[in-house]
Amino acid sequence: MTPQDALQQALNGLSFGALLFILAAGLSLIFGMMDVVNLAHGAFYMLGAYVALSVTRATGSFWAALVIAPLALAVLGLLVEPLLLRRLRGRHLDQVLITIGLSLVIADFIRLRDDWGWGATVRSLPFPAGLDRSISIAGSDYPTYRLFVIAFSAGLALLLYVLHRRSRIGALVRAGVGDAEMLSALGVDTDRLFTVTFAIGAGLAGLAGVVAAPVFGLQPGMDVDALIYSLIVVVVGGLGSLSGSIAGSAVVGPADTFGKVLFPQFALALIFAIMALVLLFRPTGLLGRVRIGR
Amino acid sequence: MVIRAAMVLAVWLALVTFPQWSSAWESSRFAAGIIRQVLIFAIFASSLNLLVGYTGLPSLGHAAFFGGGAYAAAIAAQRLGTDQLFVSLGAGVIGAALLALLIGFLAVRALGIFFLMLTLALAQMVFAIAFQATDLTGGSNGFSGVHRPVLFGLDLGAASDLYVLVCAIALSVGLLLWRVTTSTYGRALVGVRENERRMRAIGYDTRTLKLSAFVLAGALAGVAGALSSYEFRFVSPNDVALGTSVTGFVMVLIGGGGTLIGPIVGAAVVLLIERVLPSQLPAQTVLGIVFIAFVVFARQGIVGAARRLARA
Repeated sequence: MTPQDALQQALNGLSFGALLFILAAGLSLIFGMMDVVNLAHGAFYMLGAYVALSVTRATGSFWAALVIAPLALAVLGLLVEPLLLRRLRGRHLDQVLITIGLSLVIADFIRLRDDWGWGATVRSLPFPAGLDRSISIAGSDYPTYRLFVIAFSAGLALLLYVLHRRSRIGALVRAGVGDAEMLSALGVDTDRLFTVTFAIGAGLAGLAGVVAAPVFGLQPGMDVDALIYSLIVVVVGGLGSLSGSIAGSAVVGPADTFGKVLFPQFALALIFAIMALVLLFRPTGLLGRVRIGR
Repeated sequence: MVIRAAMVLAVWLALVTFPQWSSAWESSRFAAGIIRQVLIFAIFASSLNLLVGYTGLPSLGHAAFFGGGAYAAAIAAQRLGTDQLFVSLGAGVIGAALLALLIGFLAVRALGIFFLMLTLALAQMVFAIAFQATDLTGGSNGFSGVHRPVLFGLDLGAASDLYVLVCAIALSVGLLLWRVTTSTYGRALVGVRENERRMRAIGYDTRTLKLSAFVLAGALAGVAGALSSYEFRFVSPNDVALGTSVTGFVMVLIGGGGTLIGPIVGAAVVLLIERVLPSQLPAQTVLGIVFIAFVVFARQGIVGAARRLARA
């Protein structure tokens, strides 16, 4: 591997990690607040990508899709949480099971909507105008869209961090993650807080779907892939904390990318091996606060 | 006890002779095919029930052992050049059990929802291997041309012979699970489900208990997988995929976890939705909605709800 190749792959790994962060942040946020692993997270991601496809076709603008698709998914989250999850409050496993049923319905819905230009065939979303070129970095061409993904995700991480640390909703989220019951006793409407949290998490999944679509395309099964990768990221990094999502995606993104280049046969085995090692020797994840096991 | 055993035997005899006494019915052969598949998936769901229903381990990766068993059976028969039932079925069971030992070793360290996440992720690794190891598994095209087995000299190639084989193995697995769940070992598994910390305090090595249940369940899922490879003469990465794990989980939950009959009922309901429902209805959507409805309104499943009604 020449230094140019190494740099190129390092950037690829970084942009994949950046994407994984957007995906995992939503999953981790919902878990931190509600103790629910949202197994429909991959389906939300997939739906975000397909909504972006339709919006881009209708308006001709990727940027409109980047705003509308996450909002659409947030609205879905606003409906799902009170309608389905709230009635099972306290039954965490059952809430997780509900999200399995939900993901079946969403994936089937997308598969059957041929008339919307969705369906079971592979679709692609073009790169947005202005980011469809390559620029020269250290003597080799590199697609600008992937650089945009890195910058966008870094900006998002910063925004989330500031919201988390400095805003009222961030303070409520931190308090809810610490002890939701106590927060409720102090007079905060935790039902509303849970709904908002779930909506933000769903919106982040949708956002990840939009950002990923030009790079990875849209096809059946992308929901499962997204779910598995986000689960690995949160197990490695640690569930329920923003810094855990950052750490996990920073490890898994580059490891997966370099693994695929260096030993294509064992790329998946590599990230699963990392996950197994973390689990055996650091059951909270690298920066987590929740113990995954004993 | 005797009455119940006689009832089970009567139902089983009726089932085994179904192709004979229903032969006047025009859809008899189609129905027999559905029954075979229901029984195969009933074995799969029952094995998962040992984890989900009895031990309280919500595994979402059980397809790894179903598909793993199917691949092991098919590959062993092909590589060893034999159609003997004991070779391919044995390979399916042992392959699935070894896989379960490997995955279980990691997974039983995690608790509750994390156990579910881990089994899901680790099973997906098995899926990726099945998908990528094209030389061994046929990759995305699947492994086609699986031979139906031979029992000593007896050829089980005809659908009617396979029917009897599936019925016989389903009964054996059912009896085995009945033995296991009523034994002290089975009661200990239920103890782990109810209160693992207390079981540890009493002196049980709960991690070993959970791992042993995981391996036993994996081996029985391997039986179902091997039978499915005979049934469809085909093994595909789909058999290892998350969809199959979810199907098994849905069967256990709809039928009723923690009961012996529940997964059988669940397998029948799910396959009827998937295979018999009018094809213009979206089967996965119906399944998803039915599943959500059961989780919300009837968490104990059909059998659990029926028992509650009978008691009231």
